[in-house]
Amino acid sequence: MIGYILTTEQYEQIQGQYYSPSQFFNCVQDINNVWFLFLSDQDKQEILQTEWAWVLELPTGEYTPKPSPPFPI
Amino acid sequence: MPDFGIFRGFNDKLFGNKLYAGQLPTQLGTVGSIVASDVDAQAFFNRVIAAGGNLSLLEQYAVNQLVLDLKSYSIWSKMKAIYPMVGSSSAACAQNLKSSSFTGSFSSGWTFASTGIKNTSSSGFFETNCNDNNFANNSISFGCYSRTNISLTTYDFGIYNTSLGRGTWMRLLNLGGFGGGVQQAPPEIGASNSDSRGFFQMSKNGSTTVLGYRNSSQLINTTSTTTNATNTTFYLGALNNGGTAAFGFSGKEFAMAYIGDGLSATDMTNYDTAVQAFQTTLSRQV
Repeated sequence: MIGYILTTEQYEQIQGQYYSPSQFFNCVQDINNVWFLFLSDQDKQEILQTEWAWVLELPTGEYTPKPSPPFPI
Repeated sequence: MPDFGIFRGFNDKLFGNKLYAGQLPTQLGTVGSIVASDVDAQAFFNRVIAAGGNLSLLEQYAVNQLVLDLKSYSIWSKMKAIYPMVGSSSAACAQNLKSSSFTGSFSSGWTFASTGIKNTSSSGFFETNCNDNNFANNSISFGCYSRTNISLTTYDFGIYNTSLGRGTWMRLLNLGGFGGGVQQAPPEIGASNSDSRGFFQMSKNGSTTVLGYRNSSQLINTTSTTTNATNTTFYLGALNNGGTAAFGFSGKEFAMAYIGDGLSATDMTNYDTAVQAFQTTLSRQV
C-alpha cells in the first residue's frame, strides 16, 4: 500500500492534530520505523483547504507493516 | 374545483415532493424536512446539523424508526453510545445517537458513504471517547455491523491494555473464528465463524457469562473471570491499547456500532431485529 512518508519532525508536527472538527492525523511506522500517513480521497479534499495542505506534497512510498505483536491468547 | 396546473407547479417548487401516508421518503431531499416523531431522534438530527453534517429524509426516517424499535424493546435506556453511521461524512458519523456524550472522532484513513464507514487495513480508527470505566463489572455490551467479508489477523472493536493484561474486545473473523473478551484477561473466548459480515455483539449481563452473537445466531455462551475496567476508551476499527491503536486495523466497512450496559440473550436478538430492519430500510443490509 502506498502512503505518504514523513520525517520524525513532520510526524511530531501532525500526529494527533485535527484537520477538521472530527478528523485527526494518525501516522504509523513501517517495518523500518519510517513514519507513514494514509489518507483517503475524502481526507485529501478536506486537508486541501487547511493549513495542513503541505502534507499532500510529501513523498510517497510503499508501506511494509511491522509484524503485528501477537495478541495474548 | 378547476385544475389550476400553475398551482401544482408552484407547490412543487416551494415544498418539493409531497409525502403521502404509508409512503417511505426516498429521494425527497436533505435535511430541512426533518420527519422525526421521537424527541431523541430529533435531538440526534440537530447534533448532526450543528456539526455541519446532513441526513437524507430516508436516513432520518430509518434512524427515527431504530430509536422507536430500541425503546419498544427496552434496549434504548441500556445504551451509552449508538453510532448509526449515516450521513456520509465524518461530521455526521461521529455523532452519538443516544446522547450528546461520547461524540467520536476519526483518525485519518476513513472513507464515508451512504453504506457506512471504511478504514484501510493499514490505518484508520474511530475514537468513541466512551471509556470502559462507565460500566459496572459484569454489565457491558458492545456490537458492530460489518458489511465486509474479509479474514485478517486484526481486531475490530474495543480495548486491550497490554500493560494491565485485560480489556473488552472483539474480532469478527480471524483465524476462522469470531472471538473476543468482555471485562477479562486472556485467554480469548471464540467460536467458529466463516463470514465477517453481519451484526456482531458481545455482552456480560449480571454475571460472568459471556454471550456472543452474529446476527440472530448465538455463537458464544460461556464464562470468563471478570476484571476491573482499564480506564481506556473504545476504538472501532482497531483496539485501543492505552491510547495507541493496536493489533492491526480492521479494513472493514461498518454500518453501525454501539456500547452499552449488559444485555440479555433476548435483548441481543431483539437488537438484531431492530438493526437488520434499520439496515434494510437504507438498502445496506448484508
